[in-house]
Amino acid sequence: MTYDVPAPLVSRRKVAREMWVLGFEAAPIARTVMAGQFVNLLMRPGPLLRRPFSVYRADGDVVEIVLSAVGEGTERLLDLTRGELVSALGPLGRGFQLDAGPGRVTLISGGLGVAPMPLAARDARALGLEVAWVHGARTQAELCSEADADRYYWATDDGSTGVHGSALDAVPPSEVGHVLACGPNRMLAAVAARWPDAQVAVETYMGCGTGVCLGCAVPRTSGVYDRACTEGPVYRAGSIRWADLPAHLHYRVTA
Amino acid sequence: MSGSLDVGGVRLKSPVMAASGTFGYGTEVPLCDRRHLGGIVSKGIFLQPRLGTPPPRIAETPSGMLNAIGLQGPGVEALIRDYAPQWASWDFPVLVNVNGETVGEYAELAARLDGVLGVSGLEINISCPNVREGGMFFGNDPRSAAAVTSAVRQRTSLPVWVKLTPAVTDITEIARACEEAGADALSAVNTFVGMSFDLQSRQPRLAFHTGGLSGPAIRPLAVYLAHRTARAVSIPVVGIGGIAAAEDAMEFLLAGCRAVQVGTATFVDPNAIGKIVEGLRRYEELLRPPD
Repeated sequence: MTYDVPAPLVSRRKVAREMWVLGFEAAPIARTVMAGQFVNLLMRPGPLLRRPFSVYRADGDVVEIVLSAVGEGTERLLDLTRGELVSALGPLGRGFQLDAGPGRVTLISGGLGVAPMPLAARDARALGLEVAWVHGARTQAELCSEADADRYYWATDDGSTGVHGSALDAVPPSEVGHVLACGPNRMLAAVAARWPDAQVAVETYMGCGTGVCLGCAVPRTSGVYDRACTEGPVYRAGSIRWADLPAHLHYRVTA
Repeated sequence: MSGSLDVGGVRLKSPVMAASGTFGYGTEVPLCDRRHLGGIVSKGIFLQPRLGTPPPRIAETPSGMLNAIGLQGPGVEALIRDYAPQWASWDFPVLVNVNGETVGEYAELAARLDGVLGVSGLEINISCPNVREGGMFFGNDPRSAAAVTSAVRQRTSLPVWVKLTPAVTDITEIARACEEAGADALSAVNTFVGMSFDLQSRQPRLAFHTGGLSGPAIRPLAVYLAHRTARAVSIPVVGIGGIAAAEDAMEFLLAGCRAVQVGTATFVDPNAIGKIVEGLRRYEELLRPPD
């Protein structure tokens, strides 16, 4: 079931340098969203198209997203004042598929790839799975200050905290369970090379979010393009032709 | 707007339809109030399955978007097997947007769809800017446009609409050629060819390099071309281009169109068509012919 609801901004907090969590009251979405699914937000006034965001947390009637200012849409969202409305369409897409425990999931996130992880941790725990979380960013200041797991590991590109390197470099071999990953597409390509059975949440440009525009094409190893908004955004890592998926989206101010 | 209307042999439930490529095969859009849907035009189909173009396929522009999807689709046999049976049970008509790389392919597609239950008409796409062969090529030249129209006309008993490209010097010349070749209605207009560069990569923002521009950005251009088309022919014209509200639809109706198609607005609001039809009630007076 998909809902389109007027959603007032109810909370805002900073979780890293240039990275914020916004909360919107959107009860029917908050109560039904699964880890890895997304909401498509419309701002008026604002850019023509909606902007898709993985749901970060869902608590009671509130849906949270995490974002940085990377373009017109995200700048507009960060300018919203409390109580101001957006239109929230969701939950959309196919999220992470988890089997009941016992067992372990390994969450691997890079930068804004933290987005689906708190919900993934929540759903994994509810199924009796242990949760290890490995998170990487460029610097200590850009590491998300919130995490929710049984054990955490950090990595920074400049070595200012944790392992000096990428999130992948910081995964202890003893912690490798069922891998769920999100981050820049080139990081996900490296995940695919190491763990083809990992589930990854990809990022694409998106038009409608509802399956009709075919704008969010994801090249699959089966030879077809399918839709990140409908068959995805979560895929088996080994099923994507990574060389044919844009490595990162150019609305980002920095890579 | 209440009551159905006949447009080029197709009985629409309201004057507001879903444009090709913006509503899938009608089975997927959530939250659209289908009581108000005049009818839909399917995603463009070829005889054979098509992969479509590589990503990125879309780029947002001021008040608009560029797309280069490349007519990705499952081919006509899958359409007949998977979708037409569902259409047959709906209370609004579905037209199939037909495509080919040669006149013969258009004609064969028309013949294959003739008599298929659930298909209420054909919209010939001679205006897609995102395929290397066929597509817009046929819509650029009155003789080619007439040849495709006439070939389709001869192979089907279904109503035949032709979707025109705005990328021509004189749209009235193409419109008249299609009318003379047997078209029952004209859809005006398809997207405008556009291009946008990314400053970081210094490359075009679309993998196909060029794309079709849609959305409110093109509305005045489309109203003008629809108006010129409507004045040039006696068959009905269906206006398309950046319609997002009842007032926008009214502009096309005042310009001489019998009905309209809504596209990009459905990407923004899945129930855009429902809201436009509701909104048109306010203008019924304006649409009444003068005494």
